Amino acid sequence: MKKRKITALLMSLVMVCSLTACGGKDTTTTQPEPAPAPAPADNAATQDTAKQDTAEPAASGDAAQAADITLWTYPVGSWGDAATVDDMIANFNAAYPDIHVTVEYLDYTNGDDQINTAIEGNQAPDIVLEGPERLVANWGARGLMVDLADLWTDDAKAAIYDSVENACKSSDGVFYEYPLCMTAHTMAINRDIFEAAGALQYLDEEKGTWTTENFQKAVQAVYDNGQQNVGAVYCSGQGGDQGTRALVNNLYGGTFTNPEHTEYTANSPENIKALELLKSMDGINFDASIAGGDEVNMFCNGTFAMAFCWNATQEKNNQEQGNINFDVLPMAFPSENGEPQLCGGIWGFGIFDNGDAAKIAASKTFIDFMANDPTQAPLSVQASNFWPVKDLGNIYEGDDLMSEYAKFIPYMGDYYQVVGGWAEARTAWWNMLQQIGSGTDVATAVEEFVTTANAAAAK
Amino acid sequence: MAKQNPMSKALVRRETIAGYAFMLPSLIFFLGFVVYPMIQCVYTSFFDATMNREDIFIGLANYKELFQDKTFLGALKNTVVIVIVSVPITCIFSLWVSSVIYDLKGFACSAFRCIFYLPVVTGSVAVAVVWKWMFNNYYGIFNYIGTSTGLIEQNINWLGDERFALGCIILILLTTSVGQPIVLYVSALNNVDQSLVEAAEVDGATKFQCFWKIKWPQIMPTTLYILVITTINSFQCFALIQLLTSGGPNHSTDTIMYYIYYNAFKLYRYGYGNAMGVVLAIMIALLSALQFKMAESK
Repeated sequence: MKKRKITALLMSLVMVCSLTACGGKDTTTTQPEPAPAPAPADNAATQDTAKQDTAEPAASGDAAQAADITLWTYPVGSWGDAATVDDMIANFNAAYPDIHVTVEYLDYTNGDDQINTAIEGNQAPDIVLEGPERLVANWGARGLMVDLADLWTDDAKAAIYDSVENACKSSDGVFYEYPLCMTAHTMAINRDIFEAAGALQYLDEEKGTWTTENFQKAVQAVYDNGQQNVGAVYCSGQGGDQGTRALVNNLYGGTFTNPEHTEYTANSPENIKALELLKSMDGINFDASIAGGDEVNMFCNGTFAMAFCWNATQEKNNQEQGNINFDVLPMAFPSENGEPQLCGGIWGFGIFDNGDAAKIAASKTFIDFMANDPTQAPLSVQASNFWPVKDLGNIYEGDDLMSEYAKFIPYMGDYYQVVGGWAEARTAWWNMLQQIGSGTDVATAVEEFVTTANAAAAK
Repeated sequence: MAKQNPMSKALVRRETIAGYAFMLPSLIFFLGFVVYPMIQCVYTSFFDATMNREDIFIGLANYKELFQDKTFLGALKNTVVIVIVSVPITCIFSLWVSSVIYDLKGFACSAFRCIFYLPVVTGSVAVAVVWKWMFNNYYGIFNYIGTSTGLIEQNINWLGDERFALGCIILILLTTSVGQPIVLYVSALNNVDQSLVEAAEVDGATKFQCFWKIKWPQIMPTTLYILVITTINSFQCFALIQLLTSGGPNHSTDTIMYYIYYNAFKLYRYGYGNAMGVVLAIMIALLSALQFKMAESK
């Protein structure tokens, strides 16, 4: 009996301890302490190299700063890879040895919940790497982020593209994000199928652009050549929805929101005309059984002749995995004048206001180093597999794929994802496309969408 | 005897304490991960609760909104359809299969049990991916068979057409639901007193009479358990919806569980999501009580 009692008590203790351990478990991946300063005699050469590599400390940074800061990063290219981030932090620590950076790697499935839970528990990270829809429109708008005005110097404003600058500040002009990299989402066509159908004549292969009129002709030519499924307006979920939004907005110059990003404008005559055109086209099908990822797979396996959800990373990954056995031609979305406004992605750093001035200052130093240091900045951008938000020269010299897609960056349009009610509006968008696909009148469906989205924005 | 009483009382006390001590670990988990969240769920349903701000007490406003929310009412209807269709089919089909296989020789019976149980142990993601492939609008096997046999003239967008999507979900749900009831029924049928069956057969009872008058009453507790579990599982249908249709097309496959997830974890409307959870829990509890009552009366 005694043995049983003791066993039971021990088990209870173990359970309680496990629970306690669960609560206090540190899930962070702690970076190794910065290496001790190299011995002057043996490592002089290494030290010199390190100095050269990291150039001068950034203007706002003091090399003697000391703080322990945390960086939480979403998987923006290799910013989700510990080995790559370790290397970059080692570069940073060569210049700022007393700022210790602890990194946690988030994913897009649970990342928001992790951050929100951390905020609730007053454990928010110091720095987070993501886009304006979270940093500016979400956490910034809720007063959780630090104003980064001092990083946005006149030089920075002059260097960084205007569309990016606008996306990084709130409607009242407060900068909650300092940008690092960007991309422009494109579409792509199966060049072999288009060539066989004689449809290449309708597009500008060099610039990667086409007009709405030529887009119609090209799709018709491909369809007439026997390709029943030229493309699909996918709408089973929100995955890849930037593609369908960009397609609809570009065809006749419609917009998704007003310029102030305070109201949804998808019910404009231009957007209605675009949706009606898509609905009427042979070979274009509103498909409620697939989302962006499915569409990409079906483009790669030849089911579709074009993909609306595409970018350089898609091509790179699918080429590497051997999924593509035809010539992919990336294209901008068709527009009336052939000058598209592409939907983009911007990623950068924000700082949570944890009330610790030393940590905030150290975080700004870290951001400045990663985004502005002449040697480090190109490495930071390359790690993202996207493009710089300012002119850093051709950082992908010798990389044909990235160089080819770089031509689309100047077409980056308004970054409207900072509009309020974004989560609800995204769901309402694909629901609207489903309605249109199942026969609902376009004007009625877009009106319902705008009503829902604007109601969410007003909350 | 008089001397033994105090000793046995002490023994009982010690046994009781030891029993509770053994229960303690699971009790801690039960209280921490079941009872506390349940109380918190009911409590939060009276608040406008979201992330990063204080909850605001709004009384029954979430519940009022719930019954004016067309999407919720649609989800409720879909959930009820799933329950009404899938529960009887699951029970009848699994009873039929079990009746056929329970007296097969050892290996054959085990093989059939394995086959029907496989979808249960297979991850729902894998199951969903395979079914999604089979239902594919462009190269799915159902469309291939349908068009090549002339059953359908052109491909059907099974998961993308609101006329078929919910039916497809129910079909997949059935394949993943029948495994456990079959195993339980096989076990229950094997435990039926064979001497009664043999006696009835000697008296000239037909197979159906043997089943209805002797086996059925004896497997009634198993049937009740299966009914309750299948009903709860059907009410909680979520993974398939999330993985296959996201509630579409046009909300035709929205279920209460999916709508709870959408509100709580996409829109961060915890209070509203919890109110739905409370309504769902009440519905399941009422239905389960009804099932118990009906079984008792039989």
